Amino acid sequence: MQESAESLSAQAMDAAAAAGSSPIFWVIVIGYFALVLGFGSYFARFNKSTSDFFFGGRRFSWWLITMSIVATGVGSHSFLKYSAKAWEHGVSGTMAYMNDWFFMPLFMFGWLPIIYFMKVRSIPEYFERRFNPLVRRLATIALLVYMLGYIGIGFATMAKTLLPIMAPHLGWDLMTITWVVAIVAGVYITFGGQTAVIFTDLLQGFILLLAGMILFVLGLNYLGGFDAFWNALPADFKLPLANYNDDPGFNFVGIFWQDAVAGSVGFLFMNQGLIMRFMACRSVNDGRKAAAFNVLFALPLSAVAVTCAGLIGRAIATTRPDILDPETVKADEVFVRVTAILSTKAGFGFFVAAVTAALMSTVDTLINAVAAVGINDVYRPYREAKGKETDDRHYLRAAMWISAGATVAGVGSAWAFNQFDSLYEAHGWFHSTLTPPLVAAIFLGIFWPRFTAKGAVATFVLGSAFIVFGRFFPGLLIAPFDHGIPMDDEAPYKYIGALYNLVACFSIGIVVSLLTRREVKDIRGLTIWTGEDARHFFKGSAPDDRPGLKLHLRWQVNPALAEGTVQVDAEALEGLAGSEGAMVYLCDRRKWLGGLRSTHAVLQGVHAHGEVVHLSPDVADAGHFLVGQEIVVEKEF
Amino acid sequence: MELPFDRVWLPYLYLYGVGGLIFFGGLFIVLKSTSFQASRPEDRRWIRVLLFGFFWYASLHGIGILAAIA
Repeated sequence: MQESAESLSAQAMDAAAAAGSSPIFWVIVIGYFALVLGFGSYFARFNKSTSDFFFGGRRFSWWLITMSIVATGVGSHSFLKYSAKAWEHGVSGTMAYMNDWFFMPLFMFGWLPIIYFMKVRSIPEYFERRFNPLVRRLATIALLVYMLGYIGIGFATMAKTLLPIMAPHLGWDLMTITWVVAIVAGVYITFGGQTAVIFTDLLQGFILLLAGMILFVLGLNYLGGFDAFWNALPADFKLPLANYNDDPGFNFVGIFWQDAVAGSVGFLFMNQGLIMRFMACRSVNDGRKAAAFNVLFALPLSAVAVTCAGLIGRAIATTRPDILDPETVKADEVFVRVTAILSTKAGFGFFVAAVTAALMSTVDTLINAVAAVGINDVYRPYREAKGKETDDRHYLRAAMWISAGATVAGVGSAWAFNQFDSLYEAHGWFHSTLTPPLVAAIFLGIFWPRFTAKGAVATFVLGSAFIVFGRFFPGLLIAPFDHGIPMDDEAPYKYIGALYNLVACFSIGIVVSLLTRREVKDIRGLTIWTGEDARHFFKGSAPDDRPGLKLHLRWQVNPALAEGTVQVDAEALEGLAGSEGAMVYLCDRRKWLGGLRSTHAVLQGVHAHGEVVHLSPDVADAGHFLVGQEIVVEKEF
Repeated sequence: MELPFDRVWLPYLYLYGVGGLIFFGGLFIVLKSTSFQASRPEDRRWIRVLLFGFFWYASLHGIGILAAIA
């Protein structure tokens, strides 16, 4: 395990060790950890059900979700791996962050409304409702392996980043650091659930974007302005897209299929953590806003934040090789080297906190997601199969235990990922191997009603087998898709292999479905062709899209009301354009809370007590409304 | 140093050619599906946002390339 530390250059070790000698550095890092732990204990009070723990009660505004998605999308490895790519290849290192729009129509109008309106709690659950329990079990296994591995990558990266700082001052080795980071992350997720994840990610999203931008500005200042920086980059390094197919190690067409296609679909459609984040939105419309704002504006900013160390480093190496000798810089450590050059010891602490934030925000989402799959797809079906009646409180406690267990399992997989030389390749390997069968099955399930359960099983089993065959016989199976990329014998077709994987999985799914009997199964609401049925399912009656007003009303509890219902007077009912059974959203009037104190309910009858909304006790409890604060009431549909 | 066409513009054409097929193919499916209701103003607005996004990114990459070769 010590090999990772020993593989760092002397310059990187010195820079990191020097930062660790500053008391301010420790104040920043320990203060940051304490703040994150405080979030967990504060937001634990908002967890009263598994819906709260996993989906934050489906109450949050789009801007809150956007920032938390930014934090989730920018992983701890991002600063290191994209700085490394920018150092090696220039601006084209940003490609993975700038090609996510192509699948947005299918996400916004296909997958998002399906999971939201059909109240799908996990991706495997979708597979059971769309196909059968066997497909659900296969998806559960694939997803748990994928997510636990991803948690491991996060922990491994964090430990490697902190090792040269911690080791000289505290004497900690890689696994000790991994455990410390895991305990901090595990504690606040275990107790705080999705609400804590969203709010810590809001903080972390700001921290990591701010850190990246500060680093970029410091770099420009160091170099003498933007023109000096731009002119110092070689011409080839300024292009935003990589070479088409010349370099087997980094080429545009391979990255297109791995990142823009497999990676984007993997992130948007089969990232259980991200799905849960969208499920935490107050509405599908807010989910669309969050997705759109994230991809259109936040991702380009994130691209600058995570790659700027590599670009600035390259410019410094060109103009001042005495400061940053390109011969001594290893790509994976360029972030540390450049940060040390541009910042003070205390400033270095802030950047370490930013990388830590990036780790926490990715790992917390995944741990919460593992708990969701563990409860919804393993433990709950097990209890139900045994005929045991179980209340939600039991599942809530179990979810906390599974969160803790997922943290420990993540530490185990961190050990495994430390064996890889390059985290970027390890991450890419993960994406290209495990995502295609899931991606193909989800896609065909959503968009092709003829896709059968047997086709889905074949996609998982045979698709995985063909992917493995491709690794053993790349010259035979992947070469026809190589777009002229030379085959590197040591790592053959590591990017373009994603195209072969996708073609294999989709082909198997389509062929097997066409060769098997058409299934008779009620899949209304589960495909894009039955979107209105999904809305009907969500509401429990026909949607009512008449536009209404947002009303500011006082509130009081009425114990006589049925569970999940609210009541307004006749005038308010008219203003809302509401009717008996209409769904309403009730929210604290302070918008900056982002929906923290809000909930959904159903209109039931009218009262004659004027401008006040009567809430059933459970609605008041779920909304966490403060006595004396007016709330905003609006009809949903 | 003059950069060749296949280094500068071929990736761009591939990105928005193949990517465009995926994007507009997806848009076509959406418009044909019941998830999109032309009678809902919100849905129409989202279609406009989707089109804006495609051309937004095409512009960002295009301007980036022009800045690089200027």
